[in-house]
Amino acid sequence: MVNLTIDDKQVTAPKTATIYEAAKLNGVNIPILCHDKKLKPFGACRMCLVEVEQMKGRQIPACTTPVTEGMIIRTSTPDIIKARKMVLELLLLNHPLDCPVCDKAGDCDLQNLTYEYKVDSNRFVDEKFHHEIDYNNPLIERDMNRCVLCGKCARICDEIVSFGALTFIDRGIETKIGCEFEDGLNCEFCGSCISVCPVGSLLARPFKFKARFWSLTKQKSVCGYCGTGCNLTLGVKDNKVLTTLYDENQGFHKGQLCVRGRFGYQFINNEQRLTSPLIRKNGRLIESSWEEAFEVVAGRLKGGNSVAALATARLTNEELTLFRKLMLENVGSNNFDHSGGYAHSALTEGFTRSFGVAGSSSTILDVQKTDLLLVVKTDSYETHPVVGFEINMGVKNKGIKLNIISDKRGKLSKLPGANTFVHTPGSEVALLNAIAKTILDEKLTDASAASISGYAELEKGLAEFTPEAVATSSGVSADSIKKLARDYAAAEKALILFPVGLAYAGHNQEMASAAANLAILTGKLGKEGCGVLCLSEKNNSQGAVDMGFYAQNGGMDALKILDGCKNGSVKTLFIAGENPVVSYPDGAKVKAALDAVEFLVVSELFMTDTAAMADVVLPACSFAEKEGTFTSTDRRVQYVTPAIRKNVQCKTDFEILSALIVKLGGTAPASPSAVFAEISAGNSAYAGMSSVALRTEGAFTQLNLSPKLVVPKAAASLPAENGKLALVTGSALYHSGTLSQFGEGPMYVCPENYVEVSRKDAARFKIQDKDLVTVSSSTGNVQLKAKVTLRMPEGVVFVPYHFSAAPVNAIWNGAAVTTVTITK
Amino acid sequence: MNPITPIINGLAITLKHMFMKPVTLQYPDERPKVAPRFRGLHALNVSHNKAKCVACYLCPTVCPAKCITVEAGEDANHDKYAATYEIDMLRCIFCGYCVEACPVDAIRMTGEFELANYHRKDFIYNKERLLEKK
Repeated sequence: MVNLTIDDKQVTAPKTATIYEAAKLNGVNIPILCHDKKLKPFGACRMCLVEVEQMKGRQIPACTTPVTEGMIIRTSTPDIIKARKMVLELLLLNHPLDCPVCDKAGDCDLQNLTYEYKVDSNRFVDEKFHHEIDYNNPLIERDMNRCVLCGKCARICDEIVSFGALTFIDRGIETKIGCEFEDGLNCEFCGSCISVCPVGSLLARPFKFKARFWSLTKQKSVCGYCGTGCNLTLGVKDNKVLTTLYDENQGFHKGQLCVRGRFGYQFINNEQRLTSPLIRKNGRLIESSWEEAFEVVAGRLKGGNSVAALATARLTNEELTLFRKLMLENVGSNNFDHSGGYAHSALTEGFTRSFGVAGSSSTILDVQKTDLLLVVKTDSYETHPVVGFEINMGVKNKGIKLNIISDKRGKLSKLPGANTFVHTPGSEVALLNAIAKTILDEKLTDASAASISGYAELEKGLAEFTPEAVATSSGVSADSIKKLARDYAAAEKALILFPVGLAYAGHNQEMASAAANLAILTGKLGKEGCGVLCLSEKNNSQGAVDMGFYAQNGGMDALKILDGCKNGSVKTLFIAGENPVVSYPDGAKVKAALDAVEFLVVSELFMTDTAAMADVVLPACSFAEKEGTFTSTDRRVQYVTPAIRKNVQCKTDFEILSALIVKLGGTAPASPSAVFAEISAGNSAYAGMSSVALRTEGAFTQLNLSPKLVVPKAAASLPAENGKLALVTGSALYHSGTLSQFGEGPMYVCPENYVEVSRKDAARFKIQDKDLVTVSSSTGNVQLKAKVTLRMPEGVVFVPYHFSAAPVNAIWNGAAVTTVTITK
Repeated sequence: MNPITPIINGLAITLKHMFMKPVTLQYPDERPKVAPRFRGLHALNVSHNKAKCVACYLCPTVCPAKCITVEAGEDANHDKYAATYEIDMLRCIFCGYCVEACPVDAIRMTGEFELANYHRKDFIYNKERLLEKK
């Protein structure tokens, strides 16, 4: 800490702080346009000029000058105010005065400063800019006439998003922000540039002219898409969510969001939302009253073990607890599951046996504190973009080493110093085992490892996974495997990341144990920046596991439930929010099962393909309309409160389940917070949490690790067949689950399913980009648009799983790798 | 005082007024003279054959009676215009703040004061009715 004087006030500040940061820390506000606390200092706008006595009264920029001991700083002398006024005058010389039609007005830094410094006239005369405005982009509108060249957009796109879509082009008075070759934006559309723009140069097109900033109510919430647990500020007007707003102080991610979080909110107020309970009568779904619907459903739920339930991991912890209670106590069935019954196996089986707890051992905060990241699949960026930003920042700013083993290259492979080891699809576990084997063979283990139970068995069990043997099956050379092992063992702190989800069937309990073994063997566990982080798919995937909403004690898992529907052992199926027809493997089989089941109840926001098959459809509520807690992938429990009032015709799943419990003769809890009190009393990981405290800040669940080494079974690698390709499924960057299909933003930039093909394969099968091709497997075929990319290795194709039109589950039956053929 | 004197004084005033110009205005046969700064019914100014209003929402923001409803739209040139502009005259207190707040001189108040009507819905003036008549 250094001591300094700011405006006659004795203050202290950290040694690394700049004058601007030191002043802000001590409550002195220095005006600035080009600074964001996530970005490196830049010094472009010259608004933050201050006087430092030791520098002979010269005016220096506060944002780029580090503090030194004994500095005497003045932030607002008459000279400085004069200088700042001049800066504003010069900016306003070219900045159009179109505040009445600019959506930024009210939230505009330039407008606020102009008002604060009373700049109401201009001594200078010049022409305004006449740059062409980009109206064509569906998400980001660029009006460079308003730009003040602070460079924040270009810097955030480079430093954090690591895409580099925007940059300064031209020189001098003609400088402007633009894309390569002055083309349109074709980027990740995360909208980070919009969030930091101090003026109205970059605006969210979906929000254009919808409302003025000051008329919006700012409602804090937690994103309802992936498991990262990003915090959102929703801009609400007239009970409608109109936009997401940027708050640089919010959450671990400091307000940083991905395309789904920022632009995928439209599903909340979508006109297609269901607004009335529907009951199938004479083959058609007819609107009915809640009372009638409850009566029908409750009657059917009295079936004991022939009743089963599937829930989405997007329900709150309270709802899942209530659902489990309904099934166990009131219905008398333990047949319930979520996420296909396999997408959570890394947690529920893998980590449970390896760590003794069904949860990741590290948090997202560890990403930036580690020395080495071992990422399994480049898809970690696509599934959890905001975790991807953390990786970007860690690698670029802190020099974290990045090793990736993946079946294809990706965004993360482009980071400086990233080593991507592309293996044959489905050989991840064998690779991790070979790394563990090398660690054992080369005696790179931690001293504590030998005493951990299962050590001897592991040594024996890994005998066949020599780097040389795995090298032939995985396509990664033995030297590379050894290098991976040595890097991992040598790093003082190392973190393993891997995504799980419905589309990542290969990322199962074996993968979790294989990754856990590495951490346990090298003692990289339970310390800051160490461990294994499983990136779970949905916003409450971890919560669904914590609440025990999966097949246990002999209950049927999701796939068995669907089999049961087919063979008649399941007569009533209650699906809450899940869309198995689209997202579960083997769509034809799922459809047949749902056709066969006697009675199907679906509570949903939209008339999905699954809801369309139901006997009773109950209109439920989105995350913005309900109260409860979500547990993010790194076990952070966060409380959401309703941002808007729900449609009076809809009920939250909590209300639906409560009503059904009452109908079945039970007693329903009073409120979600009452259920949370039960959770924190009954679940030791949640002990001590209170719903009141969580409203202000999230808290991590407790974790008591009891590591154990387990021998992971590696799947046999598929023999390459002549003329056939290996299909891997996964998540597209712009989507999450099937819900994002109803958020307008993601659909603007990624509206339809596609198949990614390598250049070599494209040449071999004579496929051009955007050609319509038929992809066939043993289970069926589907027509998809081809996307020829550089990142796919030869012989591998990738299809995302989010789309109900041309769904991947027509050709994919849940295998980690499927053999397919492509014809034009 | 003499009780007769006040009566005579009163009658004198009455008598005087019999020879003066009458104060009463024979409305509606006679029309009042409206002052130029009178705050009557609003009118939306027109320029180049379209309303000047750019839907900046300053008038609904400043309106103390919350009687103005504006909804912005985007026209073919990507310019902002008021797709909806409504004033609820039953709520309006004719304070004139909307005129004061307007940054583009798009709204003014006319001398029109005969606003009586038969139905409540007729008091809601939409953009069509508010556009100035030439």
